[in-house]
Amino acid sequence: MALAILFGCGQAYAQSAQIIVNPSVEAASLDRERLRAIFTMRMTAWPDGPPIRVFVLPDRDPISDRFYREQLGMYSYVLRAVWDRMVFTGTGLAPTLVRSEEEMRARVRATPGAIGYVSSGAPTLRSPMQSPLLYVGLQRR
Amino acid sequence: MRRIAVLLLCAAACASARAADYQVHGYAAQGFVYTTDNNFFGPSSDGSTDYYEAGINASAQVVPGFIVSGQAAIRDAGISDDGSLRVDYALADYRFISSETGSAGVRAGKVKNAVGFYNETRDVIFTRPSILLPSVYSDNQNQRSLVFTAPGTQAYATRVFGRHELSFIGTKNFNRDVRKSDERLLIDLGGLPFDLHIRDSWNAQVMDSFDGGRWQFGVSYFFGRFTLTTPPQITLAGTFDVGLTMFSARYNAERFSVTAEYVLNPNENEVTVGGIPVLRQDITADRGYLQAEYRLSPHWGLMARLDGSFSDKHDRNGREFAAANPGSARESRYARDVTVGAHWRSDEHWGVWAEYHWIDGTAPLQRAENPQGVSDTRWSLVMLMAAFRF
Repeated sequence: MALAILFGCGQAYAQSAQIIVNPSVEAASLDRERLRAIFTMRMTAWPDGPPIRVFVLPDRDPISDRFYREQLGMYSYVLRAVWDRMVFTGTGLAPTLVRSEEEMRARVRATPGAIGYVSSGAPTLRSPMQSPLLYVGLQRR
Repeated sequence: MRRIAVLLLCAAACASARAADYQVHGYAAQGFVYTTDNNFFGPSSDGSTDYYEAGINASAQVVPGFIVSGQAAIRDAGISDDGSLRVDYALADYRFISSETGSAGVRAGKVKNAVGFYNETRDVIFTRPSILLPSVYSDNQNQRSLVFTAPGTQAYATRVFGRHELSFIGTKNFNRDVRKSDERLLIDLGGLPFDLHIRDSWNAQVMDSFDGGRWQFGVSYFFGRFTLTTPPQITLAGTFDVGLTMFSARYNAERFSVTAEYVLNPNENEVTVGGIPVLRQDITADRGYLQAEYRLSPHWGLMARLDGSFSDKHDRNGREFAAANPGSARESRYARDVTVGAHWRSDEHWGVWAEYHWIDGTAPLQRAENPQGVSDTRWSLVMLMAAFRF
């Protein structure tokens, strides 16, 4: 599995979006197939059991676009159609929308089982008092 | 008044999707319809605002894999929908397989039937390509309580095979009464009392989503048997077997999408008086469209569509029908619709849509909405809609 796990290192994949997960999540492989299953809300629990909480930035945010395109191989409007179908047929919960990368970090840090994404070039907000977010850099297959 | 109440509800619940384990969402849209001739979705030849739709839903994940949800909705569309409050869906969903390679589960309650790309979310403008759905969805026939949502049990499964994601949804609907407001659009017995039931109704859809949804192919099937009963002294009875087989295909590129769907709609009708058959019909209607959508920017989108709708696929120009039914117009048996449209989305909550239809034929018109007859068989339809979602 071509996977690198980078603790707190925000510079590894410049110009890319970067996955972040709550520290409660065991370092799991996150290949494209699993990411698609998570972000289309088909897979609802981590392999070791806890529920997955998905956080996303607005569809129009360039980071969303980059993340969906590069790491899921999907367009944001196609994902939106998947979520809308669940929301308006009562067959699933849509991802939780956050307004900024700062909010993304805070919510992912505070929510067990959470997964989200930020831009890889952004500074990481860490202090010794805070548990670090787990940054997962994904190599493209 | 009802519209205002729904908007207030929407506003009150606007802080939706804050919690992970329950969500509240909704939509509200107001339309304006203008036709050069004929009435469609209300008294549109004078310009009509009789077209609106709104809904509010809630979903809660009780335990992982188990969801309960419901949506209340109103919709008014001239004669074909009366604006009454209805339960659009109310269901429990238990997903017993949920992994990266697949999922499977069951649902029970009032469920949405999977037909084509758009049926399940057909009343939410944000999920449609245009204000008026293509003719394969029979937007002016109001089959909502008949075909498109119904109480029943549903099984679903998804499985990933390489770059293909295959999904299946199968529904067995319960036997049920047809709403009075729908009955009057389906059957006219000149004022005689009657009841219409639907039974043996089921549907299934298989969809292949290839390469992250870039290509999508689907086949949907629906069957239902309508039975007509009258009081004993009238002794009129009927059965109407209705089938739908829909083929769906779509290509999604970054900026544009191309969608095509085609439906075959066989009807086997038998009417008896005192047990003696007086009418036996076996007619297959077909409808289809080819549609292009272009996303100019995150705010602006354009669409164009060629649509054809035929009441009898062996008599597409209606000549045989007109010959067999003196006084009937052959143009009532088909419609060819050329549509162009545009929309503007200010943000994820608000949007405005506009579209123009040039239509040859009167198949989609409701007789009860055009009591003095059709004024022109070639007509134009302009639709505007402003909508909010959360």
